[in-house]
Amino acid sequence: MNALFAIARREFEGYFANPVGWVCLAAFAVLSGFFFVADIVIYTTYQAESVMNPSMASQLNINDALIVPWFGQLAITLLFVTPALSMRLIAEDRRSKAIELLLTSPVSSGVIASGKMLGAAAFAVQLMLITAPGAFILVQWGDPDTGVLLTNYLALFLLTLGLMTMGLFFSSLTESQVVALMLSLGTGLLLWIVGWVAEAGDEGTLKTVVEHLSLISHLDAMGNGVLRLKNIVYLLSFTAFFTFATAQRVEALRWR
Amino acid sequence: MIEVQGLTKRYGARVAIDDVSFSVPKGEIVGFLGPNGAGKTTTMRIIAGSLGASKGRATVGGFDVVAEPRRVQSMLGYAPETPPVYGNMSVSDYLAFAAVLKGVSDVPAATARAISALGLDKVSDRLIDNLSKGYRQRVGLAQALVHDPKVLILDEPTSGLDPAQRVEVRNLIQQLAAGDRTIVLSTHVLGEVEPICQRVVIINKGRIVAQDQIGALSARGGHLVRLQVARPGAAEALGALPGVTSVVEEDGYLVIRAQEEMRERLAAAAVPFGLLEFSGRARLEDVYLALTKDEARA
Repeated sequence: MNALFAIARREFEGYFANPVGWVCLAAFAVLSGFFFVADIVIYTTYQAESVMNPSMASQLNINDALIVPWFGQLAITLLFVTPALSMRLIAEDRRSKAIELLLTSPVSSGVIASGKMLGAAAFAVQLMLITAPGAFILVQWGDPDTGVLLTNYLALFLLTLGLMTMGLFFSSLTESQVVALMLSLGTGLLLWIVGWVAEAGDEGTLKTVVEHLSLISHLDAMGNGVLRLKNIVYLLSFTAFFTFATAQRVEALRWR
Repeated sequence: MIEVQGLTKRYGARVAIDDVSFSVPKGEIVGFLGPNGAGKTTTMRIIAGSLGASKGRATVGGFDVVAEPRRVQSMLGYAPETPPVYGNMSVSDYLAFAAVLKGVSDVPAATARAISALGLDKVSDRLIDNLSKGYRQRVGLAQALVHDPKVLILDEPTSGLDPAQRVEVRNLIQQLAAGDRTIVLSTHVLGEVEPICQRVVIINKGRIVAQDQIGALSARGGHLVRLQVARPGAAEALGALPGVTSVVEEDGYLVIRAQEEMRERLAAAAVPFGLLEFSGRARLEDVYLALTKDEARA
């Protein structure tokens, strides 16, 4: 257990001992702030229009018109940010040979993979926290449905964790961080856009399968403030699957 | 303490080590010698549990490295040639991290002990990235012994060090050997082996070519002669003498291996080339050269 947390802590602190962690955090802060301001501007424009249009006024609410689009934009941003954060997790250890310390210590591959995943999870919490000023402004000066806000945060956190764990797995496949980055980015985008295919396609087994696979459909479902077990299970099992796959890969590194 | 039986490792068609067997009794320091690429690191990584063998088995303290890797690793310290360090950690943080991974109960005490044993006190708060190669190597050794292991596997612990640092590390290894610690030390610098190790295992092209006590091994090269001549051409001339099996050039000396006692004939043949020095007593180095370079000449 100590080893698990020691690995997690080292990974988490590693983000701040490295420019990549700071740059990603800063980029995400700037982009999330930009989207927030843009969404507020759009929302206030709608609000001004709705003064003249009673039917529009009855439909306009801060949850659908501001929170949901903002979190959607944050999710897309994270799709691009997380590969840069996860690429080094194991690839760098392999390149620098520091992996030998882990492989020759009495620590199981599962603990190594889970420790790395937890370190990434702790950084995912940081990414959530950096958007907190936006949420604070909403709560302070708007009248949002707290449930919708919290559900969106939960969905965004689980998505970030899932993407980073997927990146962790790709990072274990190669010594090259660039290769790990491209694999994570490519797969992340693919899992995103299959959602569009699902929306466009005809009803059928394929559509159902694609819909289940698509990140976007699970996020949309949660984004509207509806907390369904199947969506949480999907995102959590995404993380669990890639943590397990990483553990298998680390075990293979030991015996290959 | 360490038993290696028929260890073979293949990478596709390439055979890295082939049917390697040796054993190291408790408390012994064994030198694992061989040229670069002979299979030393492969063998050591298999024993340390960071690489699997294609065939054969290795046990440490009676535990199989494949069946019970955690038990083996908790009693074994491995220092690879490239220190497995995280450059963005301080020396003390890194060693504390290594201590936790190795299941040490009193982490601060173990860390302090490793720091003082390796003379890292002055740099304990510095980032590993900012250390000299010698200090990095020491940090790599410190992580291997932070949990006070019964068995130490050291892969080229002095590689890349300057002569003064080499002596320091060599002294340190001698200190580490105090008590009943078992040490396997790989190197291609023979000078390091003779003062420290009781026994050597010589590996060449993935196969064990000799293993014996140092004294016995030196005696084995009974028909070895080391000489120095002033003018070129002696290697060919001496190599052509009947009974000579190999002539190897090393640091301006010729090391000649013969099937029989023929010192007198060799001396006579060398005189026309301006014989400067002649020694009929085989050193470990000569045995090593003869064993590892025979094939190169053939």
